[in-house]
Amino acid sequence: MCSDTVSYTGRRIELDALSAEAQLVERAQAQDETAFEQIMNLYADRLYSYILRMVGNSSDAEDLLQETFLRAYQGLPGFDGRASLSTWLYRIATNLCIDHQRRRARRVQTVSYFATEDDGGETSEWEFPDLQTPDPMQSVLNRELQQVVEHAIDLLSPKLRTVLLLYDVENLSYEEIACVLNIPIGTVKSRLNHARGQIQKHVEVYLRGESK
Amino acid sequence: MKCTRYERWLWDELEGRLSAVQTQELRSHLQACPRCQRQWEVVQATHQALRGLPRRHAPERIRQQVRAQIQQARAPKPVVAWWKRVALAPALGLIVAAAWWGWLASQSDAPLPPEVSTTQQHSENWVEIHEQLEVADWSPTPTPNYFITTGYTR
Repeated sequence: MCSDTVSYTGRRIELDALSAEAQLVERAQAQDETAFEQIMNLYADRLYSYILRMVGNSSDAEDLLQETFLRAYQGLPGFDGRASLSTWLYRIATNLCIDHQRRRARRVQTVSYFATEDDGGETSEWEFPDLQTPDPMQSVLNRELQQVVEHAIDLLSPKLRTVLLLYDVENLSYEEIACVLNIPIGTVKSRLNHARGQIQKHVEVYLRGESK
Repeated sequence: MKCTRYERWLWDELEGRLSAVQTQELRSHLQACPRCQRQWEVVQATHQALRGLPRRHAPERIRQQVRAQIQQARAPKPVVAWWKRVALAPALGLIVAAAWWGWLASQSDAPLPPEVSTTQQHSENWVEIHEQLEVADWSPTPTPNYFITTGYTR
């Protein structure tokens, strides 16, 4: 399923990246310690952000990220490159998050971007991207909107949240998400539509409040 | 009905999935429909917020812990010296022998199982009946016990 659907055709830069990734994996499989270190450096932040949004608290996210890397290391000899490395890592992380959620069997707590006892006031660790808005007021509004969206994401069911995060936040393709979750592409699209619809409702309420 | 169709196109338009004709059709509709125009603004804001969500730095200690665990797994396991293995063999032999002798001793002292005792009792009864039958063959007056055990009547 994954081998046929990973879309890396087209641009030269993507092929180069794929080739570099394949070499990195080969080196890691040959027990090159620096190669696995590079893999960790490449994916640590991406996976951590994803896991954190999936489980809702930094302590669990740290444990799950560690477990993700350890499983990846153990599974490297069996990694055949049919899926991309990122798809494979996201799949490991997703499975761990799902197991974690099943174990907890309760709603995850809201990820707060304010200083809370859970994060120990580590708000500054968040790396806000440049939103291309030189206007400070607009920048504040954008961050407020992001908080609304984060809260809305947290209210989604795990199935919808996973697809939304992988597509809209982590920029995986439909095909890659289908591969990560082992579901048909049609299901990915359907879940994404549902998830976006729910997020939009929150954004609409926020924007309506703003315009008053 | 028409609006529902265009609402479905809003995300596609943002991701460049619509054809030029569809894009033109959508834009014309948005200009004419305030409701869809508002929805378009919501979709744009949602899209921008999602794409702009902050990424968090993974604490360095996680990588350190992973490194430590990998090195621990890679470290060679301590090998038992050959002389220790040689010394262990007779010790194990002694233990096995002691266990064997202990089992044998327990078998010889044990009483006969109840099944054996019952069988022996049965055969004794049969012997007694046979003896009585033999007596019955030549005796003109069989003992009353003979009639009871055999059920024989004249």
